Amino acid sequence: MVLGKIASALALLTPLAAVAAPAIDGEVERQAVNPTAIVMFLIFVAATLAITWWAARRTRSSKDFYTAGGEITGLQNGTAIAGDFMSAASFLGITGLIFLGGFDGLVLALGAFSAWPLMLFLLAKRVRNLGSFTFVDVVSMRLDRTPIRIVALLGTVTVVVLYLIAQMVGAGKLIELLFGLPYNVAVISVSILVLAYVTFGGMLATTWVQIIKAILLITGVTICAFLVMKEVGFSIDALLAGAADNHPRGMAILSPGVLFRDPVQIATILVSMMFGTLGLPHILMRLFTVPNMHEAKKSALYASLFMGYFYLAIIVLGFGTAYLLYNNPQFFDAQGKIIGGSNMAAIHLANAVGGDLLTGFMSAVSFATILAVVAGLTVSGAAAIAHDLYAEVLCKGKPDHKTEMRLTRITTIAIGIIAVILGILFQNENVAFIATMPMVVAASVNFPILFLSLFWSGLTTRGSISGALVGLVSSVALIVIGPQVWVSVLGHEAPLFPYNYPALFTLPLALVVTWSVSVSDRSERGKVDRDNYHDLLIRSEFGPQDGVLEVARH
Amino acid sequence: MNDDKKLEAIRRKTRQRLIFTGITLVLYFSYVFNYTTDNPLLGRLVGDSHISGSLVMFVCLIVSFIGLELLFLAINRHRGED
Repeated sequence: MVLGKIASALALLTPLAAVAAPAIDGEVERQAVNPTAIVMFLIFVAATLAITWWAARRTRSSKDFYTAGGEITGLQNGTAIAGDFMSAASFLGITGLIFLGGFDGLVLALGAFSAWPLMLFLLAKRVRNLGSFTFVDVVSMRLDRTPIRIVALLGTVTVVVLYLIAQMVGAGKLIELLFGLPYNVAVISVSILVLAYVTFGGMLATTWVQIIKAILLITGVTICAFLVMKEVGFSIDALLAGAADNHPRGMAILSPGVLFRDPVQIATILVSMMFGTLGLPHILMRLFTVPNMHEAKKSALYASLFMGYFYLAIIVLGFGTAYLLYNNPQFFDAQGKIIGGSNMAAIHLANAVGGDLLTGFMSAVSFATILAVVAGLTVSGAAAIAHDLYAEVLCKGKPDHKTEMRLTRITTIAIGIIAVILGILFQNENVAFIATMPMVVAASVNFPILFLSLFWSGLTTRGSISGALVGLVSSVALIVIGPQVWVSVLGHEAPLFPYNYPALFTLPLALVVTWSVSVSDRSERGKVDRDNYHDLLIRSEFGPQDGVLEVARH
Repeated sequence: MNDDKKLEAIRRKTRQRLIFTGITLVLYFSYVFNYTTDNPLLGRLVGDSHISGSLVMFVCLIVSFIGLELLFLAINRHRGED
């Protein structure tokens, strides 16, 4: 029973756990200690700690801490964004879904990738020109700063905490499986390492951890894909033919319809993934780590290039698992289920084509991946509390900088401790729904506020707050009455709402409420909010020197 | 540059942003056609190969999005707006 949950919990690493979870089953034993993986991981840890030591000497101010002093280049930042976003879920989860259902697994890859063009077209320049540390800076610029900051902060903290719980529980189970370490030791190890990176090295160390991780992940995926293609004489057709021959569902895996059939379900996934990504605070925060708007745009492009390559290579890996694993009994248990569940398919593939060395490397990369993502979340959470709440709300934008830095580090440590506690508390619970929420909340709360504040002159504080609260409440309510909670957690026979990812419904609802409340807002503050748009617009396109939002500071 | 000229430039840029966004969204959500019943092209294999129309669509979408980004940046550079 407990071991079965190990496989299920691996799905928590993906924001699309609700999609992946039903596909994951199988009793698994904790794996024997893998010395190759541990040695490779220790090399990674040593290198990243050395970078942290270097970064710590350069992290003096809150600007250094939150945005690495704004001195990261576009290429570095694009690589770090890719490192932040290409989680273990992308590598293990999507490959596992293709192993199970063929083509259908790719919907997650498309969803994960496609937010990046919109990040470039819509957000990169304007957000970069308007903000300083977080996206909350941007949305509070033209609106009544205290209430809108508190609401946006609520959205940020909700997303970060839920994302963090999902990562920590998934990480503990994954490391237990890959490295043979006990769950609690795994969770505490992740937290200690992340605390070391973030507390001392801030965003600079976090950025380099993410860059190294991205390079390792892309290298590993490339090697695996090359070795798979070598097996089939570098013919995609031969790979697909072999996969169809060996997979129990045969030719069906080459086309849609094995895992998903309902087009509305696909639409809910696509909306949640695209607009959720555009509202993730730790991803938006990366736009401020570059020195200028030009580098911010380059960041988005480089991130797209790396991720585009990665998700195309995942096709080879996914169908490679179907081709090479199904006819190899060493990867299946006595009941005929794949050892470790479908999320282990990518690791088994590494074993099939590269032996213990490649398995160890890919296991170490998976661990590094978790560290990079958790580090990014921790910086974002610390910025939300120390910058958005303390410096901007409580101190009205005039904080004592030493106190702010001290608070930042205390918050970081607190987040690390909270992450361990929550990770341990939730370890035996069915918390797949927690992994669902961050993307839906980000899509239904953060994205509408951010988008409308940048592109609609009629937006008012009252409208934003109403829309955000409706987005938050409706997201949580529909998830609770959906299959993940209503059926899987509460034990009812059928869900009251049929979809796991309600953003297709909650995002338009939030937009409509924001619009209707804003247009009917006749308050004095509403007039100020609308008048502020002119200055905000000019500043968003021409930079801070051209537009000064004096009114917004009132 | 005075305010009117700035606003005109912003309108032009916003139009460009929204056009690129619109194209991206149309392409992105066209993926749902893979799951509708009437998708003869997407459901069929290409020639004698094992490559389905759906798989071709997936690859084309990824490549198209990167192409759109490059085009967007090239237009901005050409206009000296980068």
